[in-house]
Amino acid sequence: MSGSKCARLQGARLQQLLDSVDSILFDCDGVIWRGDQAVPGAPQVINLLKRHGKRVFFVTNNSTKTRRMYADKMSTLGFDVTEQEVFGTAFCCAAFLQTACGLRGQKVFLMGSQAMRQELEAVGIRQTGVGPDHVSGGPGDWANVPLDPEVKAVVVGFDQDFSYMKLNRAVQYLIQKDCLFVGTNRDTRLPLEGGRAVPGTGCLLQAVETAAQRQAQTVGKPSPFMFECLASQFGVERERCLMVGDRLDTDILLGSNCGLKTLLTLTGVSTLEDVEGHEKSGCEERRKMVPDFYVESIADLLPALQG
Amino acid sequence: MAGAFGFKGCQKIRGPQIRSLLEAKDFFLFDCDGVIWHGENAITGAAKVVNALIRHGKNVVFVTNNSTRPRENYVHKFSRLGFTDVMLEQIFSSSYCSALYLRDVVKVCGQVFVIGCEGLRTELQEAGIPCLEETDDPDATIYDCALAPDVKAVLVGHDDKLTFLKLAKASCYLKDPDCLFLATDNDPWHPLSSGRILPGSGSLTAALEVASGRKATVIGKPSRFMFECISSQFRGVDPAQCLMVGDRLETDMLFGSNCGLDTMLTLTGVSQIEEAEEYRNSDLSTNHSLVPDYVVDTIADFLPAFEELEEESN
Repeated sequence: MSGSKCARLQGARLQQLLDSVDSILFDCDGVIWRGDQAVPGAPQVINLLKRHGKRVFFVTNNSTKTRRMYADKMSTLGFDVTEQEVFGTAFCCAAFLQTACGLRGQKVFLMGSQAMRQELEAVGIRQTGVGPDHVSGGPGDWANVPLDPEVKAVVVGFDQDFSYMKLNRAVQYLIQKDCLFVGTNRDTRLPLEGGRAVPGTGCLLQAVETAAQRQAQTVGKPSPFMFECLASQFGVERERCLMVGDRLDTDILLGSNCGLKTLLTLTGVSTLEDVEGHEKSGCEERRKMVPDFYVESIADLLPALQG
Repeated sequence: MAGAFGFKGCQKIRGPQIRSLLEAKDFFLFDCDGVIWHGENAITGAAKVVNALIRHGKNVVFVTNNSTRPRENYVHKFSRLGFTDVMLEQIFSSSYCSALYLRDVVKVCGQVFVIGCEGLRTELQEAGIPCLEETDDPDATIYDCALAPDVKAVLVGHDDKLTFLKLAKASCYLKDPDCLFLATDNDPWHPLSSGRILPGSGSLTAALEVASGRKATVIGKPSRFMFECISSQFRGVDPAQCLMVGDRLETDMLFGSNCGLDTMLTLTGVSQIEEAEEYRNSDLSTNHSLVPDYVVDTIADFLPAFEELEEESN
């Protein structure tokens, strides 16, 4: 690609970039793995970066695993990682509710995974609602579902048990104006192999927002909260930090919003055509989604690490 | 005639003005929820008004976005609540019109994946539209469930049995750009007589729009299609002869505007007069289409005009 932005990262430019950063943040899906398979060369990249003295972190919008579960998956795939280095939205959402919302010791209505429940419990936040919720009775009953008076917030993450009944319960809580409304992220879908796509948390959140006529605060990329969570714990310097991702509207936008250098890898969702579209758009918000650099795969970093 | 006070007066009318309107119009379109009834209770005086309109030779039709019941159910409900002589042909629901759209406009040739209740399926089946049967075992997930090969349309309506799997299957079918994306209506929520609300089909459609990256074609109000169904059935209806009576600005009043009909807001349902006034005072000219020509507290306000008419003819 021509122009100073979105340059292909290789050779001297690659070496210069690595020398100019101390911390590297990686998205997971479509960057270091796809489903249950590591992207070829990815484990070596992560492990070599650490051996070269770089700090490595993982920042993912996927709310279906605790940091512990992520660390276990990474170990299985050959990545040398500790759970403290992982920032998933289940963990960060619990942190957000605790710090930004002051909910420690309180209760929430959770439309989300068991992993979210665990991360909430780890910071002393109780929940109601997780798991299947099948419809019974008729419209009169649904509007009068018993509401737990201790619930202070409705929290929405990825939920394969999403149902009309759960949507209804969430709306009944949210009609109360002092009930908070937090979502993990707005990703529209999770791509699967074989051409199928799974609707993402963004869809569930949209359903709740439309029915309740209210907007949620979101914790995940591109909102800066996850970076701030990480930075406050580890003291990273923005100017010496690189964000590596596969989605322009979450990973690269997060990087731009936080003043980080940004690298797009083409092993996931976004394409170079998408980048060109944003670059030519003339819209400032869209231009923030143009990365500084791109690689075909993060394995392209190996030449600078193995020499 | 355009609104009695000029363009989109949004003024309450009574007595003599209602009478002029009744004399000028011969086609009355009524929304149901919040206009004719609240749940199982007719609005006081509504049955008398409808019966009187019919007795005076006016055409009366009912136009509802509610997709949950087949039209036969509405016929029984009207009868139960004291509305004599309301027939199947006068009822236009978004589920019935969705079936007509698929049969007559799209002439669909293949299966339809339906997210909706029995009421919607019944209307589709009566129109001869093949609907995909729900045959998943309870443990099926999007990763391993069967997907039918010839799905030509996805239709979303109110579905209290909505699951994640249904959403996921629908978004898979919608990856094919030749598969149509239809919604019975866009109502985000519905009020109940208790003052509570329930999530509406609009919230389910919104989820699927996000999942698929596509916009649904909406059959129900405020889209014009239901008026086209009415016009077709009555062999041509002159919009100037019509009055659309409803309780929701964003559906009923906008529908009336879109079809060139005069509009009347009744205050027994969702929208308040203050909201109508806000739309009228808005800088955005598109908001002006949501402003009613006329406002009444309840459709029972028509009754004095009928009583007068009847006295005069005695």
